[in-house]
Amino acid sequence: MHRRHFLPLLPAAIWAACAKSERKIRLALNWKPEPEFGGFYAAPFSQHGLNVEILPGGAGTPTVQMVGAGSAEFGIVEADELVVARARGNDVVAVFATFQDNPLALMAHASRKFAEIGDIFKSGGTLAIQRGLPFARLLEKQYSFAKVKVVPSPGGDLSAFLGDPKFVQQVFLTSEYLTAKRQGADAQVFPISGAGFNPYSGVVATSGDYLRKNLETVKAMVAAMREGWRSYLDDPKAANQRMNPLNPSMTLQGFAETADAQKPLIDNGEAQRNGLGSMTRQRWLTLISQLEELGDLTQVPSPDDCFRSL
Amino acid sequence: MGRLKSAIPALIPFVVLTASIELAVRQGWVHSYLIPPPSAVFQAMIESRDELVAAVATTSASALLGFALSTIAGVTIAVFLSSSRAIQRAFYPYAVFFQTVPIIAIAPLLVIWFGYGTRTVVASAFVVSIFPVIANTLTGILSTDPPLRDLFRLYGASTWATLVKLRFPAALPQILTGLRVASGLAVIGAIVGEFIGGQGLGSVVDVARTEQRVDKVFAAVLLASALGLALFGLINLVSYLTLRRWHASEQ
Amino acid sequence: MTASSPGSGGVALDLRGVRKVFQQLTVVERFDLVVANGEFLAILGPSGCGKSTLLRMIARLLDPDSGSIAVEPGSDRFQTSFVFQDAHLLPWRTVLDNAALPLELMGVAREERYARARNALTETGLAEAEDRYPAQLSGGMRMRVSLARALVTAPRLLLLDEPFAALDEITRFRLDLRLRELWAERGMTVVFVTHSISEAVFLANRAVVLARRGGRIKLDQPIELPERNEDLRLDPRYGAAMKSLLAAMEEE
Repeated sequence: MHRRHFLPLLPAAIWAACAKSERKIRLALNWKPEPEFGGFYAAPFSQHGLNVEILPGGAGTPTVQMVGAGSAEFGIVEADELVVARARGNDVVAVFATFQDNPLALMAHASRKFAEIGDIFKSGGTLAIQRGLPFARLLEKQYSFAKVKVVPSPGGDLSAFLGDPKFVQQVFLTSEYLTAKRQGADAQVFPISGAGFNPYSGVVATSGDYLRKNLETVKAMVAAMREGWRSYLDDPKAANQRMNPLNPSMTLQGFAETADAQKPLIDNGEAQRNGLGSMTRQRWLTLISQLEELGDLTQVPSPDDCFRSL
Repeated sequence: MGRLKSAIPALIPFVVLTASIELAVRQGWVHSYLIPPPSAVFQAMIESRDELVAAVATTSASALLGFALSTIAGVTIAVFLSSSRAIQRAFYPYAVFFQTVPIIAIAPLLVIWFGYGTRTVVASAFVVSIFPVIANTLTGILSTDPPLRDLFRLYGASTWATLVKLRFPAALPQILTGLRVASGLAVIGAIVGEFIGGQGLGSVVDVARTEQRVDKVFAAVLLASALGLALFGLINLVSYLTLRRWHASEQ
Repeated sequence: MTASSPGSGGVALDLRGVRKVFQQLTVVERFDLVVANGEFLAILGPSGCGKSTLLRMIARLLDPDSGSIAVEPGSDRFQTSFVFQDAHLLPWRTVLDNAALPLELMGVAREERYARARNALTETGLAEAEDRYPAQLSGGMRMRVSLARALVTAPRLLLLDEPFAALDEITRFRLDLRLRELWAERGMTVVFVTHSISEAVFLANRAVVLARRGGRIKLDQPIELPERNEDLRLDPRYGAAMKSLLAAMEEE
């Protein structure tokens, strides 16, 4: 998931370029351990003969570059992020998609009585988003930002939202929205998917090179992750207890609520038909043409290069 | 012309480094999405020149204003601190606070107080750059040669006259040293403020990063460095003009 | 003690029982001295004997721990000037501005203080250098500026603390000569601290030799010599004075 901001690329890039791959398998998260990664913490990797180390992330962790450079064998990325990375020459491939439905949303004050996502851009106020992300550029193209004041997304900080009734901010349905409700905020959410943009989220990516050389290992990883997510969806308690000490900013109660709220995004139609984490060519194709239309792709990747069903 | 010639040794490592990176990327030793080849950075600068020029103007204005404020406030605070040991002991630790507080942590607070936009950026530049001004000015004022202080006392000079005619001019080289450090910090502070508050080069870097446009990120970062250098050069010029007739450092 | 010099009668300086302690070291024990108006007094003594401390107390830059220092008893305003061992000019000011500094600090108007500064600079031989900066001057020239600065207030009491010690012999001699001339012209009282016996004999009409420690006076004698000029050293009385002072300094 695209999150907060401030890690400069260069040191990470240099470090990544110097790293060597080892027998240990590193799975790099793009945020702190939270329910969105629950299935990975619940996955029975060792039973599949895999020695996996999960690397927690934070603000701006460059997972897609880490995988490309070889400083992690697997990384959690967003589908749109992966397509753009491929267009820039980074050979990364998706093997598992945690979220069938993207949890990105815009959160506004319910008092403004917006009926649908497009209404947000018609009545002034402040819009806090990460403007460079594809979803933001798509919204801008579709609805125009001329009438709103665009400012950087404050990340998990809700003070601006709580203090200003005309403040709209980018959130995750599974995260800031829940926090806002817990604090009694008058919040209403509009998922991005409502605007027709629904890339896979929580995508596990590996490098094309690694995939070619270690096909059996990757298959085992995917199988283990599928089991892990099944287990987490059925009962998240054990994995939550593993994650909480790594991320004390949320209570166990919060972990439980979030794990519950995210279920419909993970275990829906697609997943029930083809298995948790599965992906279709059609969805990748849709995503690629949306991004191409935005004018972001210097080269247009083929959907078959973007993902592998294992 | 002589000054241009003396700049050549400094340029050589830059040219070598740039050429090496370009070669490394073209040969495929380093991925272009990790480190962009200088040619791509240059290209990005040309393509986005309108946006970058506007961003440079915005960031420059904020950094300069923040720097000007920290100069005025910093010198004033230092003069106040120099008036007595008791005052120094009571208040100096709070000045040190400006040095140690991580700007990334308090920048969101600045947004709450000053809102999104220029005021937050200026505040950020101010907070980050003020301490070196205070510290260097204070040291300069307190280091006045004792015989000169005796001379002033001999002729019955008031505390104010001693401050204005002796301690302050004597402290000028030290003050300028502080300003040199503060100038670069003001640019950094402005950029950090812009990450949070939007606008300027900071915003260009942030947005380009999420667009995975490494070339544009580097372009903006290089321009930010150039801005810092320009400000530093400006202080050096001021130092030269004010000190050239009497201070060893400019001779 | 008679002062064989111009100037009216009366006392310029009266030190009684002056005592100064620095960090448990008694730098000056009970010091008594009376200096007549118009006298040229040389204070001699080895390093660390307390002579600089005494001078600074006379200038009121330092307060004695006990005892009293009266400067021209009976007059209400007495001008004292001090010349330090190094010129200590303000490097960011021109020679003229440096010379005018005391008047500036006393609030004298610009035109007047520049005129008086120019006079003082002429008297010390630096008239053409008024627009230069201290960094551009030699050691001797800087000392001349320092002297001009001391004279610009037309002081009645002039204190000098080994002012020419850092200069070469010829420059030192020239400045000694000039100082003596200025003293003769203006009739001020001069107290000159030095550890050069020949300089003391050349300049002063009274010399006081201090002991190694504690500021105790070992010898206090008048120096009666004719015209102080280049040929003075040939005069036998010069040698005699030198000898007696040397003996006093060597004891211990």
